[in-house]
Amino acid sequence: MIEYLLLAFGEAIMVFGALGILRFPDVYTRLHAATKCDTGGAMTILIALALMAHAPTLVRLKFLVLAFLIALINPMVSHAIARGAYKYGIKPKVVVDMYAWDNP
Amino acid sequence: MHFYLKERLEEVRKRVLYEQYAARKIPTWERIILTWMVLLPFWLVVSGNSRPANVAIGAATTLIISSLMRDMLTLDVRSKGNILQKGLYFMLVWAPQLAVIMMFRILESSVRVARNVMFMDINPGIVKIKTDLNSDTGITVLANSITLTPGTLTLDVRRKLGETYLYVHWIDVETLNREKAGEEIKGDIEEWLKKIFW
Amino acid sequence: MAEENFLVGAVMILTFTSLLLTYRVLFGPTTPDRVVGVNTITTKVVVMLAIFAVIRAEYYLLDLAIVLLMVNSVGGLIFAKYLERGGAID
Repeated sequence: MIEYLLLAFGEAIMVFGALGILRFPDVYTRLHAATKCDTGGAMTILIALALMAHAPTLVRLKFLVLAFLIALINPMVSHAIARGAYKYGIKPKVVVDMYAWDNP
Repeated sequence: MHFYLKERLEEVRKRVLYEQYAARKIPTWERIILTWMVLLPFWLVVSGNSRPANVAIGAATTLIISSLMRDMLTLDVRSKGNILQKGLYFMLVWAPQLAVIMMFRILESSVRVARNVMFMDINPGIVKIKTDLNSDTGITVLANSITLTPGTLTLDVRRKLGETYLYVHWIDVETLNREKAGEEIKGDIEEWLKKIFW
Repeated sequence: MAEENFLVGAVMILTFTSLLLTYRVLFGPTTPDRVVGVNTITTKVVVMLAIFAVIRAEYYLLDLAIVLLMVNSVGGLIFAKYLERGGAID
């Protein structure tokens, strides 16, 4: 029973992440939606699948390895894209920008 | 003149830090065994069968690889206690607790982003915080954890005069004071990381 | 087979969100928006591959998912380097 709840929760988080990428105003806030919702939704769905699969234990552990790799790789890529977007010249819509104070 | 003095001071501090750290570097065979303890379970899980021939091939291959790549993972680990204590503490206490903490943080941040999408109550800003970690691996894990905690995204890392600063994009700015913002953003993750990385 | 129906529904929802994100890839105002859209779609494809592995009970698809995830990360890093140089191909 708990695996179906986890599956539905992950799907809802994925849908909200997609809506966030469509609705947020600039690149950095879109990256917030992309990173957190993708990582959370993917990890929840993969844990549900590991509980659901009819397979030996080593194969179930492979789902957890996939979830771990997603949690390790996704923030790194978003960090690189955010830094690249700042160097590309996109001004963030923010109230205070301490990064621009130090790099005039 | 001013810039020359600043660069010189920075070089001296970096060298002092490196010598302090090199004095307590862990020996070579311990580094090989720690890397091997990480790589062998990964081989077992990814290859997916547990016949003795497969396990033997995997043990030999990962031993060769870990003797070549011994500095990549374990160069920044604190050397305290002997190897058995450290390995058991890492595998049975430290990593599961960090995994459970981070899992609940990820769920909380997903729910919070969903709330922000529905009500659009955002007030973004980029703040600068200071961290006590100095090694590359420690800063990487801290930056990834900050990205996964609710409402924050790491932009850049800057080292200046032997201290490390992080620039963080915060979706709902509460305070601009550096210490308070650091308390709010880092939380207890930094304490956990300081137990292993220097 | 209630379980298979749930999983097929999950794949359909993921496809729908990918279609929503295609708007951001096609009409994104700037280049980093497109990169974010492509990375997100690829993560969803990774999850879809894992769900297909459970539906068909063919678990070699998980290896494909791991390889696709790593290729995605390398591609994202290359795009980030490209943006960091100011959009010039050298």
